[in-house]
Amino acid sequence: MPLDFTKPTPPSDDKRWKLVQATMRRWGNHHDALIETLHTVQESFGYLDNDALTYVAAALRVPLSRAYGVATFYHFFRLKPAGKHTCVVCTGTACYIKGADQILESIRQAYDVKPGETTADGQISVLTARCLGACGLAAAVVYDGEVAGKQDAASTLERLGKWVEQ
Amino acid sequence: MSEVHLTINGLQVTAQSGQTILEAARAAGIDIPTLCHHPMLSNHGACRMCLVEVKGMRTLQTACTCPVAEGMEVQTETDEINECRKFSLELLFSERNHYCMFCQVSGDCELQALAYRYGLDHWRYPRPYEKMAVDASDPYIIMEPNRCILCTRCIRACAEIVANHTLGLRERGSATMVMADLDVPLGQSSCVECGVCLQVCPTGALIDARSAYGGHAEEVTHTQTTCMQCSVGCQLDVISRSTRILRIHGVWNTEPGGGLLCVDGRFRPLYETRERIAQPLVRDHGKLVPAGWTEALAIVAKKLKSGRVLGLASGATSNEALVAFAGLMAQVGGKAGQTMPALPTLGFGQPAAVQDILATDYIIVAGANPLVYQKVVGYLIRRAADRGTPVALIDVPRGGLEASAVLSVSGQYAATVTEQAAQAQAPLIIYSVGLKPGVARALKPLAHARWLALAPGRNSLGARAAGLAPLEGHDLTSSRFDVLFFLLGEGSEEGGVMPRLDGAFKIVQTAYRSPLAEEADVVLPAPIWAERSGHVTNLEGKTLPLNPVVPMPDGVRDEAEVLDTLRTMM
Ligand code: SF4
Ligand code: SF4
Ligand code: SF4
Ligand code: FES
Repeated sequence: MPLDFTKPTPPSDDKRWKLVQATMRRWGNHHDALIETLHTVQESFGYLDNDALTYVAAALRVPLSRAYGVATFYHFFRLKPAGKHTCVVCTGTACYIKGADQILESIRQAYDVKPGETTADGQISVLTARCLGACGLAAAVVYDGEVAGKQDAASTLERLGKWVEQ
Repeated sequence: MSEVHLTINGLQVTAQSGQTILEAARAAGIDIPTLCHHPMLSNHGACRMCLVEVKGMRTLQTACTCPVAEGMEVQTETDEINECRKFSLELLFSERNHYCMFCQVSGDCELQALAYRYGLDHWRYPRPYEKMAVDASDPYIIMEPNRCILCTRCIRACAEIVANHTLGLRERGSATMVMADLDVPLGQSSCVECGVCLQVCPTGALIDARSAYGGHAEEVTHTQTTCMQCSVGCQLDVISRSTRILRIHGVWNTEPGGGLLCVDGRFRPLYETRERIAQPLVRDHGKLVPAGWTEALAIVAKKLKSGRVLGLASGATSNEALVAFAGLMAQVGGKAGQTMPALPTLGFGQPAAVQDILATDYIIVAGANPLVYQKVVGYLIRRAADRGTPVALIDVPRGGLEASAVLSVSGQYAATVTEQAAQAQAPLIIYSVGLKPGVARALKPLAHARWLALAPGRNSLGARAAGLAPLEGHDLTSSRFDVLFFLLGEGSEEGGVMPRLDGAFKIVQTAYRSPLAEEADVVLPAPIWAERSGHVTNLEGKTLPLNPVVPMPDGVRDEAEVLDTLRTMM
């Protein structure tokens, strides 16, 4: 074999890497396929860890700094596993005026998590979104995919409390 | 390219199509302030300092990105423009920490200078007091994110000049920050410590660890000289105050490197830990003791006249010293050569210059490891690869270049590379001491190729030109020598061929204490790179000047002068 030019190997023999490789192949392993590939990683594994970013960067010949920049630029990508439940607080203008920051602060005080973080016990991930388009319901919070309107600190903590009790 | 005519501040200016307003203005001697723009980097258009008014355009334009057009009427200094510039500065000062009196680079900061220029004596907006951790994990470069204005010069420099791509931006909006790789400390990242990011940073966000708090830029001396740490011969701008060297910059747009330096040229010489020898030493009752020049030279002269002499030059010195050394050896009838291995010849093609790496359509690297031994050449190869030039490796050890290569083979498959490169208009073969005759033969069909031979060591071509050919093992063992004379300069003896040391009388001319100096019978002190005048010959065969930055310590004399004195004593 004259070529000792080797392709990077996936971080593990987990079958899901086949899906990731298929995405990269579909785009000709071109560096433009970075976002598509990260999408596939997140769909398959739930989040992007450093091993995944390192592998994808090497396979597409993209600098690590670029892979990390893209992964942190888009709120869609997550670098840590999601909690069992997710709570997305809308911080659009209307919700902000109706106290979204107080909701976030009350969550921080009660559970010691900031937006983008997951509680230490892996139960709840807290996220923010810039306007859900539900301004009439401000302040809006999405609990496990279900939009709830007219929320405040007390009602939010009550909902989260139910998750933790279960 | 066609000519474009415009007016700037009422002045008729002729520019080239494709130029920006900024380039046209600067070429005409008109100053427009900039912050994120850097002439060596791609245009970014983020800071809004270069705003100008273009007649007929709805808003002010950024001169650094706006292309010139026929008949354009540009104003660069109206009240409106200056208000906008001042406001942009105010916003920059409102974020993060710009309290100049606590800053290491105060007096040497582009942001500060602009604030003075626009009379920014206060800012109205409270700054968010978020504190970001200073990253001092790298020995040479401190990252102080609290002073970063996110101009991305460092990121562009890391990507476009050294092609290392270590730096990037993380997050977005107010959380945006410069970081390395996967947001790891710089000292643990893929950074190669070339320091080009440091050189282009306009603020105190990237700080030279050694010259921090070194004082104002006005009080320093700039000396241009040639780097002597390898055979590339990059041009250095050495910044000093009285006899202290503060830091080293690359000189933009100079051959060979274009202004790029590597860690060996920019940082390591200023972190030298070896002990300097500042006066002659002679062996007395088994110990090396200080002696005067007259005494030491008398001993050396007597010995040189008394037996068979072998002279070995390391190449870590000037052409002048090497010529004087070769002359002295010839005069005493000794054998002389250099310790660096021989550089093979390709046997076909035309020689190329280092900058040709960026102007070729196929690069072959054979029997060389430039990323380790001639780093700037390695970086330029990666830069060419980033631009789409195919790079093929033959007998190149693993260690970085393979990530830029389309093909990496061992010597027996060199013909595969020849086949691939056959289509190229102007292939460039970069080789070094590891080039095997078989590989040279296999590449021979590329008769139209140009080549760049990476000379080993430092000034081995200067030694070659002085008549000091590489010594082979059998040169050293075939006969016994009574006297060994090492012209070591500031090098160390490792890496080259070495004779057996026992028995002979040993003279070592060197700048630093080393195991070899400890074995010597006479040690003659030598200057280091920053003290030298004279010349070196770089791997392109060009003669490049050495200019002294600081004086030699008392007791040290230039090698050429000492060797010429010895000649008069023979
Ligand atoms: S020192 Fe060079 S390689 Fe390291 S981050 Fe700066 S520009 Fe990039
Ligand atoms: S570190 Fe310096 S060069 Fe880099 S973005 Fe910040 S201010 Fe600009
Ligand atoms: S590549 Fe060589 S000449 Fe250039 S800075 Fe580095 S050591 Fe000096
Ligand atoms: S210099 Fe033009 S926008 Fe920064």
